[in-house]
Amino acid sequence: MAGIGNGSGGAWIAGSDKPERTSVRVGFMPLADCAPVVMASVLGFDEKYGIRFELSRELSWTGMRDRLVSGDIDAAHVLYGLLYGLQMGIGTRARQMAVLMNLNRNGQGITLSRALAAKAQDAAALARLVRAGALRPTFGHTFPTGNHAMFLYYWLAAAGIDPLADCKVVTVPPVQMASSLAAGHMDGFCVGEPWGQRAVRDGAAGLSISSEEIWPDHPGKVLGTSAAFVAANPNTCRAMVAALLDAARWLDASRTNREAAAEVLASPGYVNAGRELLQYCLAGRAGSRTGAGAWRGLNGLHFFDDGEASFPWLSDGMWFLTQQRRWGLLHDDPPYGAVAREVNRIDLYRDGAAMAGVPVPGSPMRSSTLLDGRVWNGRDPDGQAASFRRAA
Amino acid sequence: MKSPDCASPHLRIVVVNPATTPGAERDAALAEQARRSAALRIGLLESGYDLIASLPADVFLPERIAQLQPDMIIVDSESDARDVLEHIVIATRDARRPIVLFTEDDAPASMDAALEAGVSAYIVAGLRAERVKPVLDVALARFRREQKLLEELQGTRQKLAERKIVDRAKGLLMTRYRLSEDQAYQRLRSMAMNKNLKLAEVAQRLIDVEDLLA
Repeated sequence: MAGIGNGSGGAWIAGSDKPERTSVRVGFMPLADCAPVVMASVLGFDEKYGIRFELSRELSWTGMRDRLVSGDIDAAHVLYGLLYGLQMGIGTRARQMAVLMNLNRNGQGITLSRALAAKAQDAAALARLVRAGALRPTFGHTFPTGNHAMFLYYWLAAAGIDPLADCKVVTVPPVQMASSLAAGHMDGFCVGEPWGQRAVRDGAAGLSISSEEIWPDHPGKVLGTSAAFVAANPNTCRAMVAALLDAARWLDASRTNREAAAEVLASPGYVNAGRELLQYCLAGRAGSRTGAGAWRGLNGLHFFDDGEASFPWLSDGMWFLTQQRRWGLLHDDPPYGAVAREVNRIDLYRDGAAMAGVPVPGSPMRSSTLLDGRVWNGRDPDGQAASFRRAA
Repeated sequence: MKSPDCASPHLRIVVVNPATTPGAERDAALAEQARRSAALRIGLLESGYDLIASLPADVFLPERIAQLQPDMIIVDSESDARDVLEHIVIATRDARRPIVLFTEDDAPASMDAALEAGVSAYIVAGLRAERVKPVLDVALARFRREQKLLEELQGTRQKLAERKIVDRAKGLLMTRYRLSEDQAYQRLRSMAMNKNLKLAEVAQRLIDVEDLLA
């Protein structure tokens, strides 16, 4: 990868910055957090940087993964954990992949059925029931190596429940979550909005926990592509980052923008969900920050934070590896830092951020405190991974 | 493997379909995947295949597949049913079965990718009877070849481990009863024959007793 992006000044060789590709095929899943990709295309931020997004609405993460590998699509709005799982060859052949940027923070959630919530009002009560042998709950998530599986497992394990031993876990397509819960086929699930809210509106949900309660401002979907695409099209990658940063900035700038995005996303070609449902997820409340990066959904969904939400933090990437190791998806400890440095293309992100006029953090690591009080800052991934014991 | 040969019509096939979702008919993409899925079942039945089940990709899919133990699973490459199946693929990494992807999209690139990812075959562009049989034959042959290699590898590892155990037991007998290697081996062999056990099993018992008394 040497020779593209000089890593320090946000500059690249003048005169050769024209995107190699004028058209880029970008896959997305029908979720509220696909907003940056869709709005970059709808508002023409892509064309501002000399590229055109050809959006491809995907139905399954597995199908999207295969299409990324085959080159049917060039890049995708994809689960952070899925991309790392592909890099590590979990359940498939290992591929060299690339994360160009993070696309959203928060905006996912765990939902419990009314029947389960009547018995257990929180995770601790659920753990007591499970430990007493009174219950073996079934939980759904969206992909075995993905964010929702890892957040669900983390939440359960923090309460002393072993998700793999004490529960039955299954993968369920997001559009089926609410109806499976209502039919009593599942006791709970973890999914991206608006599908959790859909269960709330349908009256099937007894309790919902926003993902920001598990890890405040956790990373979400990434702009993922293959290392081969990056090597052949570095300028196209920089242009994609710049266009999506413009879209992220626009999305968080005002309530009006959020409402407009909800209107667009509601249409059948994008998320195909109720406009009012998407308003909840996108245009809910003012954030704590002032100025740019101020607006959030009621579920905490936001996109920008002056670029902090977009930066491909190495510590974020490493977190998914530690969790995949914890739950036996990885049989051995990978070189956590080396994998994250290889996958997360901070060099290209920095160049794209310079084009969009977005500040870049000084350190590639950030510090977060998760719901169990653990601090994750990426400094000691081996120690952290070893310190996780499967709950008894 | 329940099918003895490549007489494909006797293959026990399970087709995995997208689960029906309320409101799906309003979503053109979901309606289209339901239509493709129906076409797939009809095509296979018309070709004389033994569809032992047509299962929705829901919460119960892992258990149903475990019960039915099909020879082959067929799924539409573009359907959301694939994620449910992928869960089973990762959960049963050590006990794999052939999975055939079906698509109407004539895209050799995705075909290569899927084959490399471990899928056994890819049915492209429609389901004409004359095309289905050769593809499924190739898929099963390919899967069995890979399975045989895996089993051979496991067999070799097992033999190596057994040999180590027998060697250790021989060593014990040699030091304890001052036997030659050949005598120790004969002693083990007659013990195995008398007790109707495998040589490695007798050796393991001897070692267990020794460990217990040590």
